[in-house]
Amino acid sequence: MATPKLSDTTINHSTSYLRTVMTIFAREFRSFIATPFGWVILACAMGLQGFSLQTSLKVMSQATGEGLLFYMLNDMTFWFFYIFLFPLITMRLLAEEERMGTLEGLLTAPVTTAQIVLGKYLAAYAFYLLLWLPLLTYPMMSELANYYTLLRYDIVADGTIDYRLADWIGPYSILAFTGAFFVAMGLMCSAISGSQIISGIICTGLMITYYFASRVTELWGEFPAASIFHYISCTDQISSFSRGLIDTRPLVLYLSLTLMTLAITKRIIDYRRWRR
Amino acid sequence: MNRMAGEFWLEKWLISASIISRMSMVQAQHLHKAFGRFVAVKDASFNIEKGEIIGFLGPNGAGKTTTLKMLTGYLPPSAGTASIAGYDITDNPIEARRHIGYMPENVPLYDDMRVYEFLDYRARLKGICGRSVRQQVVRAIERCGLEVKRRSLIRTLSKGYRQRVGLADALLGEPDLLILDEPTNGLDPNQIRQIRELIHELSENHTVILSTHILSEVEMICNKVIIIDQGVIKAADTPENLTTSLRAAGRVTVEFKGALEPAMEALASIEAIKKVIHEASFDDGWHSLTLRAEPGTDTRERAATIIAELGYPLRHIYRHVPTLEDVFVEMTRRD
Repeated sequence: MATPKLSDTTINHSTSYLRTVMTIFAREFRSFIATPFGWVILACAMGLQGFSLQTSLKVMSQATGEGLLFYMLNDMTFWFFYIFLFPLITMRLLAEEERMGTLEGLLTAPVTTAQIVLGKYLAAYAFYLLLWLPLLTYPMMSELANYYTLLRYDIVADGTIDYRLADWIGPYSILAFTGAFFVAMGLMCSAISGSQIISGIICTGLMITYYFASRVTELWGEFPAASIFHYISCTDQISSFSRGLIDTRPLVLYLSLTLMTLAITKRIIDYRRWRR
Repeated sequence: MNRMAGEFWLEKWLISASIISRMSMVQAQHLHKAFGRFVAVKDASFNIEKGEIIGFLGPNGAGKTTTLKMLTGYLPPSAGTASIAGYDITDNPIEARRHIGYMPENVPLYDDMRVYEFLDYRARLKGICGRSVRQQVVRAIERCGLEVKRRSLIRTLSKGYRQRVGLADALLGEPDLLILDEPTNGLDPNQIRQIRELIHELSENHTVILSTHILSEVEMICNKVIIIDQGVIKAADTPENLTTSLRAAGRVTVEFKGALEPAMEALASIEAIKKVIHEASFDDGWHSLTLRAEPGTDTRERAATIIAELGYPLRHIYRHVPTLEDVFVEMTRRD
């Protein structure tokens, strides 16, 4: 046989922590975009964003001053799909590996649990961010629609959506902050069970709980501990950020919640392996 | 920072130096694993030298897979520890795993990937980088005869090819120790032979632990056998030593025609024979006896002479040659 002997070949090894994370990230992200799975989620999200857009355009035509995203993110229809986005994205990440048995291959490779959690988390988060990119084309599309009405009906339509930085940077940053935590929560749910369905249900339950916790002050009014609920209220944060009021408190909140959730996820994986 | 890196390399060098002096690939010390009240592995200690091919035998549910999973670091042991190439699996699991190529039972693979993609991913996961990735993947594909299937989706592969992909994965990065959990499970005889030949070829450069319950396979390729039953290691030795020390070894069956009593007395007087058992008598005057002898002795010649001296005709004399199967049955029998 022409294959060289063991001693002839030197194998380049790398012990870089991030390189391994990126390897896991690459495979995981690829499994989002190279399979129908990710495209179905994208299509779903865009369709529902369309609903959201439709209702918010109605409101927007009557009110003035705020950007399109302000009306979209403060509409009830936004929460209908936003809550269910996260279980969809994350439920299979670890549950599927466990069900298929590939987790064994992953955990017997020279990879730490933290690297696995980090790689998978970053892939899901990157995919989540990807879901918001098509929204950036809406102003261009409104421009196109204006041209079309001008050509076809000879009417000058002046309903434009602007690329004003304040209209976009605020909503996008709060979507990035809340998403960071919610994706981490979904990943944690995925680690809890070997079944995607159970993981998805738990994640949906936690999402709805967090959503209601955000609206506690609206339901109960003010009470001594209400400031806590004001602090964690993602509905309040989204409404102020989408006005362009950028605040660092939610950044601190969601960054710490994300790190804590990821740490718990790592513990859950190790614990489940330990007791199996 | 530099000082730390220096210390790290010094430590690494010291450890590798100690490995060379000991040449021990796996050292399991009192490995113990309990799942709730069920104890899967009890106090398993064994030592595997570099370059050995180990057959890991045991009935279903004996704790084979659990032991192997503990060695790979997938299942943390409830008590005890093991070291792979000098690295402790609980204190230094990542470094220990770098020396292992593991093929799990039933070969779990990512169904939505193509063969070369999967192997590329696995190679990178094992810390191989740069040009070596391609080199290693190509080499593993070549060795396992996967060239025709390299672009196929893993979902579409037959059982035999899936098994080979699992084996190719284990070979990536030339690990010192290969742990193969039932590598020939579910293959047809030709495929089994190919895999066996491959393992034989690999044994030149690797230490191999092979779990199986096909005994002929073990007799053919392994130079050491570990038998485990109900979580307890019953034996760890070469197949030759195991078979010669067996109770059944040296047992002789004799069939002659004549008076039973004097023949039995005369045969019992032979030194190495412990007991003469009367098996059966036939109507036409023939008797069948079993002579229980000490292991490793051959009493056929003396027994034949004694029968001849008595003047009886002898039509059958047979010395039982014990096989690994006898060893296995004797050690794992439930009665």
